[in-house]
Amino acid sequence: MHRKGFVRRFKALEILTEDQIEEIHKATLDVLWETGIRIEHEGALKVLEKNDCRVNYQDNRVYFPPRLVEECLRNCPSQFQLTARDPKDSLWVGDNRTYFGAAPGMTTVDLKTMEPRVPTRKEMYDAVTVLDALETVDYIMQYTPYFGFEGVPSAMAMIETLAAKLRNSTKFTAEGYSNDCEIFTIRMFQAVGADMFLSCLPSPPLTYHRGSIEACLRAVEAGFAIKVGGGGMYGGTAPATIAGATVSNNAELIAPIVLFQLIRPGTRIIVYNFNYPQNMRNGAPAFGAIECSLHTAIFNQIWRRYGLPTWDDSGEFSSSKGIDFQLGYEKSMNTLLPALCGGNGISVHGAIFGELTYHPFQAILDDDIVGMIGRFLQGVEVNTETLATDVIKAVGPIPGHFLNREHTQRWWKSEQFLPKAADRLTYPEWMEKGKKSALDYAEERMQKILETHRVSLPLTPSQEEDIERIIREAREFYTQKGLI
Amino acid sequence: MSTNLLDDLQKAIVTYAAEDALKLASRTVKEGIDPLEALDAMTLGIRQVGDGFNKGELWLPDLIRASEAFQAALPILMEELARSGKERKSSGVLVIGTVFGDIHNIGKDMVATLLVADGFVVHDLGVNVTAERFIEAVKAHRADLVAMSALLSISAPEQRKVIAALKSTGLRDTVRVMVGGGAITQEFADSIGADGYAATAPLAAALARTLLDNR
Repeated sequence: MHRKGFVRRFKALEILTEDQIEEIHKATLDVLWETGIRIEHEGALKVLEKNDCRVNYQDNRVYFPPRLVEECLRNCPSQFQLTARDPKDSLWVGDNRTYFGAAPGMTTVDLKTMEPRVPTRKEMYDAVTVLDALETVDYIMQYTPYFGFEGVPSAMAMIETLAAKLRNSTKFTAEGYSNDCEIFTIRMFQAVGADMFLSCLPSPPLTYHRGSIEACLRAVEAGFAIKVGGGGMYGGTAPATIAGATVSNNAELIAPIVLFQLIRPGTRIIVYNFNYPQNMRNGAPAFGAIECSLHTAIFNQIWRRYGLPTWDDSGEFSSSKGIDFQLGYEKSMNTLLPALCGGNGISVHGAIFGELTYHPFQAILDDDIVGMIGRFLQGVEVNTETLATDVIKAVGPIPGHFLNREHTQRWWKSEQFLPKAADRLTYPEWMEKGKKSALDYAEERMQKILETHRVSLPLTPSQEEDIERIIREAREFYTQKGLI
Repeated sequence: MSTNLLDDLQKAIVTYAAEDALKLASRTVKEGIDPLEALDAMTLGIRQVGDGFNKGELWLPDLIRASEAFQAALPILMEELARSGKERKSSGVLVIGTVFGDIHNIGKDMVATLLVADGFVVHDLGVNVTAERFIEAVKAHRADLVAMSALLSISAPEQRKVIAALKSTGLRDTVRVMVGGGAITQEFADSIGADGYAATAPLAAALARTLLDNR
């Protein structure tokens, strides 16, 4: 039986009181009405003005009345399906279900020098095959695994990456936008009969550029879901305080949600957390910082109250440049905590440094991290059978043991998660088998996947023709625009 | 008296007190203090902060706030300098901006501040700067150096456009061009014909000096 996601069987971790949630909510409404959000899209401004927002066309500023905000949030579905091109890979988003998926890297990384480099076409397609094979990968993010590959002009990167994902995987895949590429990616999803969600990205503080809104309106009008969120850095493009950063970030997220609900009521919205403390030495985001999880905790708590599914896209990244100890602890902490806090989607597999590097070995190691966390989410079953008093009585004190019991055989495999790459050997076994590490096992697992794994539902010849034609048209489009 | 006032002006920069810096700069003008001396005091202040940053003792918010205090007091002193007809000695005149299509300013601000600290006259054009605006600024300020930033891979090609515009307006040989930002590599800088590339803000400041020394 194919598994999709994990069901959390206990209450999510909550770190705010009800009063604190209310204070953050009121402050957010205050920012939306008093400070407003800049939206550089005239069509959007007109829709919002018609629906009781105050609009200043001079600086594209929109002021959102609290009643409208609360009404539009109520209109968002709290649970919904995201259809993958193979039905077995479709997702049901919301409630206490948590999915895990692959996270972006612009380039691959040379594991000897730890330097980034552009992947080859084969590396791109192989990386997708690995993701398709890994059981804990429920979805593949935009710009993932890589942003294009050797020989692909940057204007075509998103489109060629999506083609690789559709050809070598049936898993649900998300998309981003860049230079109108959504015109073509939307058609590609339609050609293969798959859903997607498109990322709607603010430019914090409190600003949306035309490209972001235009791309999302195209997706909304075509009936796709939207994932809204991201981008603030505490102390840089958001207040330095986590509470303040949450207020400005939530105001940024709510603005387009209101717009999309007005344009197409019931549009499926996911909100996602992609916020970091600013690294006060070099201005970059502080990838891997524990404050990401602190933000995620209150983000999940507040948006659960609003009734929208949440995604966490900040835990997947580390500041480490290679697959090492720092990467392990940063990723583990910032993946486990969002899961405990009730995130519905957590992007983790494969990413190494920031959004810049990705490696399939890491995706395989992350499969183990996610497996461990998923096991934890499933909690502890307590009933007559699991309390095992009968078998305890039968075994009694030493020399009794449990290895020879039918109860053990029946239960141990569902009670224990078995990692596939971790080294769990004893010293003698480890020395005998060549002193291999988890990274060695990850490499072996990748080779095995590439030799044996086949996508469950290859594209049909006519779908392949459609994809080829759309790619050709995109090339012509960007050639005419002077971008190729 | 004037010594104290200049000390206070320098102190206003290192304590990030923009309002005080403006008031003190106005007082130097009223009291007839040479604007070059006032500018030197402010530059000493920003250099102190820049040194602290480079040593790892001060942080980005310190650098940016010191720069804002400097910028707050700068216009009134520049006006006075123009009236006096004196010339400011500097390490060089630099025009800096984040290129069109890109609104990321933090890296660019860091470079600008460290260059001010290093004695450059810096004209910061801000973000989303078109090739035309770079050209206008190079002409208006008779710049020695153009510095361009781009964080996004989709905005990086704008740097090529600016260099092309410098060529077509006959200005390319009058300025050195340096580029940087998250989307830029040495290979990219070479491919667009830039004179230099720096991966970090402190390296950019050092590069500016090298480029002008080697003219």
